[in-house]
Amino acid sequence: MNRLTQHLLLVLLGGVTLRVSLGQGHLAYVQAGFRPLLVAAGAVVLAVGVLGALRTRPGGPEHPGPRVAWLLLAPVAVLLVVAPGPLGSFTAQRQAAPVVAVEGDAPLGIGADDPGQSHRTMTLSGYAIRTQQSDTSPLEGRSIRLVGFLSPREDGGWYLTRIRIACCAADASAVRVVLDGEVEGVADQWVEVVGEHTPSLPHPSEGYPEPALVPVSMTPVDPPADGYED
Amino acid sequence: MRTQVQVAAPRLRSTDVLVGLLLVVVAARFLAPGAFDAPAVQAWSTVFVAVCLQALPFLVLGVLLSAAISTLVPPSFFARALPRRPALAVPVAGAAGLVLPGCECASVPVAGSLVRRGVTPAAALAFLLSAPAINPVVLVATAVAFPDDPEMVVARFLASLAVALVMGWLWSAFGRGRWLQLPPRHEHPPGTGRAAAFLSVVQHDLVHAGGFLVVGGLTAATLNVVVPRSWLDGVAAEPVLAVLVLAALAVLLAICSEADAFVAAGLTSFSLTARLAFLVVGPAVDVKLVALQTGTFGRRFAVRFAPTTFVVAVAAAALVGWWLL
Repeated sequence: MNRLTQHLLLVLLGGVTLRVSLGQGHLAYVQAGFRPLLVAAGAVVLAVGVLGALRTRPGGPEHPGPRVAWLLLAPVAVLLVVAPGPLGSFTAQRQAAPVVAVEGDAPLGIGADDPGQSHRTMTLSGYAIRTQQSDTSPLEGRSIRLVGFLSPREDGGWYLTRIRIACCAADASAVRVVLDGEVEGVADQWVEVVGEHTPSLPHPSEGYPEPALVPVSMTPVDPPADGYED
Repeated sequence: MRTQVQVAAPRLRSTDVLVGLLLVVVAARFLAPGAFDAPAVQAWSTVFVAVCLQALPFLVLGVLLSAAISTLVPPSFFARALPRRPALAVPVAGAAGLVLPGCECASVPVAGSLVRRGVTPAAALAFLLSAPAINPVVLVATAVAFPDDPEMVVARFLASLAVALVMGWLWSAFGRGRWLQLPPRHEHPPGTGRAAAFLSVVQHDLVHAGGFLVVGGLTAATLNVVVPRSWLDGVAAEPVLAVLVLAALAVLLAICSEADAFVAAGLTSFSLTARLAFLVVGPAVDVKLVALQTGTFGRRFAVRFAPTTFVVAVAAAALVGWWLL
């Protein structure tokens, strides 16, 4: 690999990194707060490549680069050709885990209804944790609104699902709430569900308790720009 | 009678190969837009890109620091800053790991240039292992991820520091200089300025370490998609097996040391000691790190260093876990 090729590879890598981080694309892969670091890294890589390419003179001394450097083309190609979106129901089926409640002196409340509404909007993990407390009274008699995508349950039903990431998509885990009622839908469809708490149901094969909600209304919605929960 | 004809075949240059590959990429984009829609392919691609993007800023930081060390800091600085005896230089270098807030991708190139600058390899390796594991960012992340178990932070700090020191001392006792094969770096003639030398080192290291980072990303993404979570929860009840399985998982998943605490916190079916093993092994040995070490220090180094570090890290985690958790 000659010098010019090495510089061009850096230009490509820096370029796609900048493109992904300046637009919305990076939200599928990393936390929103990571963006400044990505922009800086993309800019440095691009600048090193451009400066190097400008300074390379044909016929100058050649220093063959390492073969492994060809792999730098892999992330560029995957980003340009596949342009993978956020993780969805495929990952949800493989990275789900039992929800564990944090038991305090008193059960966690859920706060007042949304302004001007007769329901309370919650995150899926916020709802899931509260369903696993020994005292679920804060949930009773309340109308709860959750937003997530549909993923299939082993028994033929559906979960409302969100993927959580701590740092990047490699550490993804899924939060799932069983929709305990008649639900028509397709996997990965984003929906808004308003419903009522119902006792947890056992996982069809593993047996651990899964948070559940009886849906009263379900409306398809557009996927949010950042589909991951923190 | 044969005539010898010399055909001056035009040599295929790497720039031509690059242009050819790019044309294939562009063609795939337009000719087969739906070919990559399978959920497994999409999930693999997302995780692969995520590992690469997540590591890139830290790799760039490490490469810039490493280039600064090798072109701007005179070798005499390290000779003065570190004790002459390796046995004493190891703890000083290990403690210096407290101040470099980065993940493991940053520390490999830095350790490489420390060795080039004449720092005793034992001390550079102690720094290599301690910097990603015990820096403030990682410790705060661990405290946030384990709000109910503050002793986890202390246990992680002690176990990781112990791994760094033990490996440093092991190297000074048994290590052989010929195992280290730092790739030759083009020396600039005295005429070229410092800026040019700096740029050249940055470019060389980015291309080199970046390629190895991609190797790690490919491995981690494949395992992430192939190993379902339910396989893990089956072994959580066996105390010894659980420690070994989470230690192996840390190697295979190659999660950044600033994020691994959140993943460990989610593995609730495992004991705290098993999760400590995950946190101590991950920043010291993982597929991406071994690939980077192979690139920086050579294959003969990596095949000895990585397995030994794994054993020491599991032992340190088990001892500290038994003592504190």
